[in-house]
Amino acid sequence: MKHVFTILLVFTLLTSCSPLEISLKKTPEPTIVRLPMGYIPNIQFAPFYVALEKGYFAQNGIELIFDYSFETDGIALVGANQVPFSLASGEQVFLAREQKLPIRYVYTWYRDYPVSLLSTDLSLMSLEELKGKQIALPGLYGASYIGLRALLYSAGLSESDVNLNPIGYTQIESILAGAEQNVIVYSNNEPILLDAQGVEFNQFSVAEYFNMASNGIVTNEHTIETNPELVTRFLNAFRQGIEDTISNPDEAYEISKQYIENLALADEAIQKEILMASISMWQVEPYGSIDRENWANMLEVLVKMELVKSGMTPEEAYTDQFSK
Amino acid sequence: MTRNKKLVLWLVFPIGFIAFWELIVIVADLPPFILPSPSLVFDRFLISVKDGTLLTHSLTTLSEMLTGLFVGTSAAIFFGYIIAKSRVFEALISPILVSSQAIPIVAAAPLLVIWFGNGFFTKALICSLVVFFPVFVNTVIGIKSVPRQLSELAKSLNASKWQILIMLEIPSALALFLSGLKIGATLSVIGAVVGEFIGADEGLGFLINLGRGLFDTALVFVAVLTLMFIALVLYGLLSWVEKSVLYWNDHQKASVLK
Repeated sequence: MKHVFTILLVFTLLTSCSPLEISLKKTPEPTIVRLPMGYIPNIQFAPFYVALEKGYFAQNGIELIFDYSFETDGIALVGANQVPFSLASGEQVFLAREQKLPIRYVYTWYRDYPVSLLSTDLSLMSLEELKGKQIALPGLYGASYIGLRALLYSAGLSESDVNLNPIGYTQIESILAGAEQNVIVYSNNEPILLDAQGVEFNQFSVAEYFNMASNGIVTNEHTIETNPELVTRFLNAFRQGIEDTISNPDEAYEISKQYIENLALADEAIQKEILMASISMWQVEPYGSIDRENWANMLEVLVKMELVKSGMTPEEAYTDQFSK
Repeated sequence: MTRNKKLVLWLVFPIGFIAFWELIVIVADLPPFILPSPSLVFDRFLISVKDGTLLTHSLTTLSEMLTGLFVGTSAAIFFGYIIAKSRVFEALISPILVSSQAIPIVAAAPLLVIWFGNGFFTKALICSLVVFFPVFVNTVIGIKSVPRQLSELAKSLNASKWQILIMLEIPSALALFLSGLKIGATLSVIGAVVGEFIGADEGLGFLINLGRGLFDTALVFVAVLTLMFIALVLYGLLSWVEKSVLYWNDHQKASVLK
């Protein structure tokens, strides 16, 4: 009788645990997310390094892999649903949607549009005085170009009023060599590097004149519809990374050394200054929230530039369902 | 193969390819930013022809290519001849020239922009650097390929250096030189585009960058296909020159085969 009871007990236990349930009780496999960063490893990406190192992505069931590629390529990959997320500046979302890429901006990382015009011509005191001058910029596309156009727009100038000189990412060298006087740069990087070289300049930040939708996280409509909790988990981890970086920049800097190959050899004071300048631009209240006015401003500039002709509305470019 | 058969093959293959491309886009329902259909690319081509952008950008790239081709080829002939004739120079310069080929032009191009600015000169210089090596190598081999018996015969007949160059060395080296030039000409397209990628406001490389920046994949295709067309035309022209200049080579081959 005792044996019969034991056999029955084992049978009951075995049948109550079907293979499906056994597999569900295992730790779920993390979702592998390859993230196009739009640039080379840089201290500006510290929140990602912090979130990865402290296990915030792992805790949210995400295995994050960095992909240091061009911004536009990352956006195209998101549009083609090859990757779920990418870093992108606001204008890229409109430009991509204009070409029917089904992407949406879901999280504001930078409060301010991070582009500035630097002028070593110290007599240049206002944007209006740029008329007839040469302005060097990386190329006639991307955030630098849109930022310049916004600056000219706010000063009542057009592209034909100035002489644009595309020089690639050689602004620092061109200024130091005396080849250029007016250059378009990223507000949280080149001004600090030039300052460290003892170069005097005037800075005209786009954000001070005409703030527009800035850098943040984009995803695609497929992911929003079919896997919204992945978006939530990803943004949760990233937000924790931002919070920790803001509250403890020194720790974030130390962590970043593991992810940026030459950071340990770089000038620590300068790199920390770049990190602090970046942090000052991340003060979005509450974190990730969408500023509708900035998106409307951005669209206004792009329509004026005739880069957006389809009559889309600013609301088509973003969703605030993940940042409320 | 008869002339008609050749013509049919020349027509069938591109038409079949374009039809297959269009079919893929329709069947897979691919959005234009992933793969634009040939008809969309053609529409984009017509727009850029009508507004003059394609011609302007093509002429810019072509002028950079041709200047680079001329400068690169001239330098290659000069150094190629010296090295072929002098063992000392060969020992001194060859290792530098060969190892310089390990430098990716995309890594060198931003430095050249910093040193020389981002104008026409730098782009032509990048082109000439790309063109240089294949022409140089073929020139050296060509000059060295002069049969020793002929060389000794010319010397025994008291031929001057100039006569040896004109009547012996150049004819011997010409076939290999022109082969190198054909490779160099097609590579000059890459040189021009790399230069324009670094910083430009004109040229087909700039147009590709612009298309990528605006997610206008059809425009990227238009620029890339135009570059392919330019390379093909240059190659065809040089092949024609080769055939015209080396007509005796064909006769020689034919007589050997007989």
